[in-house]
Amino acid sequence: MRWATLLLLIALLVPACNGGTVDQHALDNDSGAIDSLACEGALLAHQVVDGATTEPFTRVHAGELATRASNFEDALSQRPTTPGIESAVRKEAEKAGRVADLLHQLEANDPDSAGELKGRLEQEGDCA
Amino acid sequence: MKIFQIALGILAAIGGFVDIGDLVFNVSAGATFGYELLWVVVVGVVGIIVYSEMCGRVAAISQKAVFDAVRERVGFSAGLTTLIAAQIVNLMTLAAEVGGLAICLRLLSGLPYRWLIVVAIVVIGLVVWTVSFDWIERIFGYGGLCLLVFAVAAVKLHPDWGAVAHGFVPHINTNDPVLYLYFAVGLLGAAMTPYEVYFYSSGAIEEGWKAKDLSINRANAMIGYGLGGILSFTLMITGGALFLAEGIEPETLGTIAMGAQVPLGTAGLILALVGILFAVGGASIDTLFAGAYNLAQFMGWEWGRYRSNAGAPRFTLTWLVLLVLALGIVMTGVDPVMLTEYAVIFSVVALPLTYLPILLVANDKAYMGTHANGRLANILGIAYFVLILAVSLSAIPLMILTNVGQA
Repeated sequence: MRWATLLLLIALLVPACNGGTVDQHALDNDSGAIDSLACEGALLAHQVVDGATTEPFTRVHAGELATRASNFEDALSQRPTTPGIESAVRKEAEKAGRVADLLHQLEANDPDSAGELKGRLEQEGDCA
Repeated sequence: MKIFQIALGILAAIGGFVDIGDLVFNVSAGATFGYELLWVVVVGVVGIIVYSEMCGRVAAISQKAVFDAVRERVGFSAGLTTLIAAQIVNLMTLAAEVGGLAICLRLLSGLPYRWLIVVAIVVIGLVVWTVSFDWIERIFGYGGLCLLVFAVAAVKLHPDWGAVAHGFVPHINTNDPVLYLYFAVGLLGAAMTPYEVYFYSSGAIEEGWKAKDLSINRANAMIGYGLGGILSFTLMITGGALFLAEGIEPETLGTIAMGAQVPLGTAGLILALVGILFAVGGASIDTLFAGAYNLAQFMGWEWGRYRSNAGAPRFTLTWLVLLVLALGIVMTGVDPVMLTEYAVIFSVVALPLTYLPILLVANDKAYMGTHANGRLANILGIAYFVLILAVSLSAIPLMILTNVGQA
């Protein structure tokens, strides 16, 4: 029973330890997640251009994606890094900030500006 | 009339098969490994069919639901451990489903999330308080059929059907075997989640099943869950055909709804959101009932929706308390999708404690008479129990090694 409790605590705490030093593996993971947010934003922008969405959905979903991108910006701009990758980590933080800004603009669900936002998000996320 | 009744039950089972755990794990698995994990869904669906048929048969013949059997067959200490594990996982799942319901309402209406959590809780409470068991099953089961929009979406996305067919052949991905196994465990856990059998067996007693209803039990379990599994396939195919190709990691319910929006436009989006709404709404009620059934059956209290709320007061109080606890958990701001992943993985750990008593009772001729397990049911039951045991031992190490599927 004690072992089960210990295992449960480890299971709960280890994944929650997200605020430590950023190493290359964490940077790669976070970079992939930021690109994913940008590409999803681009796909959503495409739906706005096509009129294939609803105003509440675009506003809420783009807002959710923007919050996630902002969280990456905050974390990557503040957390300590392993030697040699600090500049890359801070650049990724700036990119996350730009993606968050574009996603906030997408919340307006404006078909006229969505085309340009789509292009810029695709560029940021290096989307397929 | 009987065929009509079976058809209604099957429709409800299809619509009610998918919950937030299935949505999250199937779409994420597709977005990460394409169609490579489709075979795991087949394994999970056959498993839930085998054990649901067994516990429905036990309920129809012995008039005992799962936790009656747990208390009688594994003793008080082991029974209490099972109860505690089941209730923790149930509460986590309930909170995740309620959070999912509020997110879905927000995506449809744009209203503030915290208000919608309260709305979701009040609606669930009112439905459970006032609507009969049969109608709860029907309303949420039929509403969940809107998820069939993902089947149309999957076809419209023009997946590589050869690769889809190959996904049904059991194999291991050698590029990232640990993450692959994590998703395999999650998919099995989502398909065979314990609350489904608690709810199924107690529901059989709610509906007054007897020996003459064993054909309905078989049809519901085999066809209902079998066809419900098709919804899981289509979710994974959508994940593979759209999100993997676009480089998107789905981490929100909004992303999952986009799986129908991109190929089908606004109509696809709305149908997907309505389908998710009914699926997670129905699953919220199932988990709520499952929690109340478990405690009431273990303690030997009066239970069931076929009694009035006042006729089973401690059962009624239990589900009310569970609803308030779920409200408290979701109001902390915890991400329902992340909570779902934890709930599914922890449910896997509790699976052997749930399924062993069912297997023992279904084999017991003193309970079951001539309706005890036959050879096929035993072979499948034992094979699945061994699989469940292996999966339950590996679930938490895999969760740690993959950082909850993020590695």
